Amino acid sequence: MNASESQPDIAITVIGPPRWTPEPDPRVPHGDPATLLTIDADAIVTAFSGKVEYGQGIRNGFAMEIADELDVVVDSIRIVLGDTALVPQDRGTTGSASTRTVGIQLRRAAATARQALVNLAATRLEVDSGALKTEDGRVVSNDGATGVDYADLLSGQSLTLDVPDVVEVKAVKDFRLMGRSARRIDAVSRVTGAAKYVRDVVVPGMLYGKILRPPSYGAKLVQVDTARAKRVDGVISVVQDGDFVGVVAEREDVAEYAVEVIRARWEESRDTASDWNIPALLKERAEVPTALRDEGDLESAFGSANRVFENTYYVPYISNAQMEPSASVARWDDGNLTVWCANRGPFAERDSLAEMFGLPADKVRVIAAEIGGSFGTKTPTVSHEAARLARAIDAPVRVSYDRAEEFAWSTVRPAATFEIKSGVDANGKIVAWDYTAFHAGENAFRGQRGADTMYDVDNVRIAVAASESPLQSGSYRSLGGATNHFAREVHMDEIAVGLGIDPLEFRLNNLSHERLRGTLVAAAEAFGWETRDNSSGKGYGMAIGYDAGSFTAQIAEVTVENQEARVDRVVVGFDCGLVVNPDGARNQIEGSIVMGMGTALWETVEFDGGRVLNAGFARYRVPRIGDAPEIEVVFTGGDDVPSSGAGEPGIVPTAAAIANAVRDATGTAVEQLPIVPNL
Amino acid sequence: MHLKVNDESHEVTVDAERTLLSVLRHELELTGTKYGCGEGNCGACTVLIDGEATRSCITPVTSASGRDIMTIEGLADGDNLHPVQEAFVEHTAFQCAYCTSGFIMSSAALLDRNPAPDDDQIRSALSGHICRCGAYVRILAAVKSAAGEPGSGDGGAG
Repeated sequence: MNASESQPDIAITVIGPPRWTPEPDPRVPHGDPATLLTIDADAIVTAFSGKVEYGQGIRNGFAMEIADELDVVVDSIRIVLGDTALVPQDRGTTGSASTRTVGIQLRRAAATARQALVNLAATRLEVDSGALKTEDGRVVSNDGATGVDYADLLSGQSLTLDVPDVVEVKAVKDFRLMGRSARRIDAVSRVTGAAKYVRDVVVPGMLYGKILRPPSYGAKLVQVDTARAKRVDGVISVVQDGDFVGVVAEREDVAEYAVEVIRARWEESRDTASDWNIPALLKERAEVPTALRDEGDLESAFGSANRVFENTYYVPYISNAQMEPSASVARWDDGNLTVWCANRGPFAERDSLAEMFGLPADKVRVIAAEIGGSFGTKTPTVSHEAARLARAIDAPVRVSYDRAEEFAWSTVRPAATFEIKSGVDANGKIVAWDYTAFHAGENAFRGQRGADTMYDVDNVRIAVAASESPLQSGSYRSLGGATNHFAREVHMDEIAVGLGIDPLEFRLNNLSHERLRGTLVAAAEAFGWETRDNSSGKGYGMAIGYDAGSFTAQIAEVTVENQEARVDRVVVGFDCGLVVNPDGARNQIEGSIVMGMGTALWETVEFDGGRVLNAGFARYRVPRIGDAPEIEVVFTGGDDVPSSGAGEPGIVPTAAAIANAVRDATGTAVEQLPIVPNL
Repeated sequence: MHLKVNDESHEVTVDAERTLLSVLRHELELTGTKYGCGEGNCGACTVLIDGEATRSCITPVTSASGRDIMTIEGLADGDNLHPVQEAFVEHTAFQCAYCTSGFIMSSAALLDRNPAPDDDQIRSALSGHICRCGAYVRILAAVKSAAGEPGSGDGGAG
């Protein structure tokens, strides 16, 4: 750590593990101690985190937490994110975990510094520290008679503090900022074009790279002729290393043109998987399912059940299609590699670059720029490409994907097929639940998220299998969670409709989970479920869900006509415990719903034998402003409940709520997505 | 070739077939205007040409020569944000903000020709833009609130 060296007048340095959980959690190791927070002699606070900003407003959340703990204004706080040379090791900005584990530790670090300031003041004022409090960047006596500015206390100090095991953080009632909505501290740079994304990063001497792409996944280069590309004015070099072929040029448009004039022959894979036959192939090509839960006696429960329901569901491949296509800048200096990237996991990217080039990790520095959306994609691949080209020509190189490359060569959300069999008794109670999911992708763990049911049932089997993927599958907003919830919650309505029971009543009759019930009851009340107009021609549907420690229910109102479906309104019950920034959380939930609406209604990656067929926005329909529904969010979490994720849980019930509403409108069950092409 | 951008004149020597977006970003280093799709389908590259919202990624630079070009960098009056920018801040009408420059430029052009648009007119004017973070509800609210502000009709400039 050399963060403190770069700022000579640091008065307080707080060191500790970057993460903290109230109880030991093997899934969330606290990490090696590192500098978490510094305060300089002018009382400017700098906090360090390996998290990145990709639109979720994490800088704001951290700044508000620190401002509250330290009793300083947000303007005096700097947040340094995602630079592997400056910040503590981090596993990546995923799983909506930033506020839960890193935010609380930054609060604890800030509280540690605050206590040190109180102690300094106690010495200075010759009083007991218990007689002092902090407010507005000052330590003052409890009666307000005397006080001293932080800056006065900090002058000439050089303290290094460890975050102790037990730190008293502020109680909710003492928060000034947390729990209240706030403007984003980075807002002005976002509306003036000043914010720098990777594509905007220019380093001296930088050149532009473009990669030759195969026509399909798995294609092998047989023959290539780069002579014409080399002759293009402005081309510096054509780099070839096996199947990897890239052009480096003085300008981006030159590199793009030069790649187009490369002639190549490819041997394509002969995989027969296409978007129309993949639902059945996913099961055929799957490994043996892993049981996550296997309890009770399913066979006898089905035997004695009053009614048995059985169906198969499918969700297709989805493109993340974030607005900023992948890009990376790579620079080599004396065997040290620096990369500017748009990756959510700068440390993982650093490690993968180190491995690729056989370097120790400390020879690689990865700096995350502002990130123009991610939703789970943006892999280190583009940085590998930039670094290879930069090394080959010994100059800095930027590689920027065009939109077609982004659609075809970035990762996509894996498709999945689900088989659900359920048994219900005469009282409408679920007595048997047999759930098997086949998720495309090599990593079955990814499909496990959200697979388990949150409803009460004694005889239950939850099994998940990974299945061979013809496309390059990757992460997405609540990967696995959103797709598993679609299948389960659509099946729940299938049962309710089959039994002739109101879907709200059926769910509540099978749901003991207090926090989930809280979200559902709140959403139903805010929506006016009991008084909805069934003669309106509209459809009404609900779904509930859990993800990243949070709970949510959504109720959708849709209009279906002329083979189009429009979502008019979505009402949300949301429990993420203490809400640090209600406006920020609401923004995330609204975005989750709009995104989930795209996956429900229109989005699907069309492909045939490894070729992506709809690699552009003209052929891949995403939600636009005219599609945006009215969204109402009711927060139901308690202020005394630790904060949990807000960035992802909002998407998990959305597709099912819309599908159930479409079923309500049309009378036809929705068993696969997207809905509109199948209307 | 002569380009007038944000009230400043530039002489650039560029190939005629290059896009305005490429020249703005690479030659003039005005990187606030974004590449999103290169096909005119997402709106991230929107600038104003003689006050009209225009997709710079499909506009040949030659066709913009001699005309009034305004990018996001030229919209504010010094430190005073344009009312649309102010409203986007006030409503946090963005998340990652990669699409924001485009939305703001189209909104400014809309308010310039129609100072009091209704919801449908706003939706129509912004229908060619994509925000994958899904901040649409906020964008709509921001443009509506900016519509009532003095100076909101200054976006067109031309």
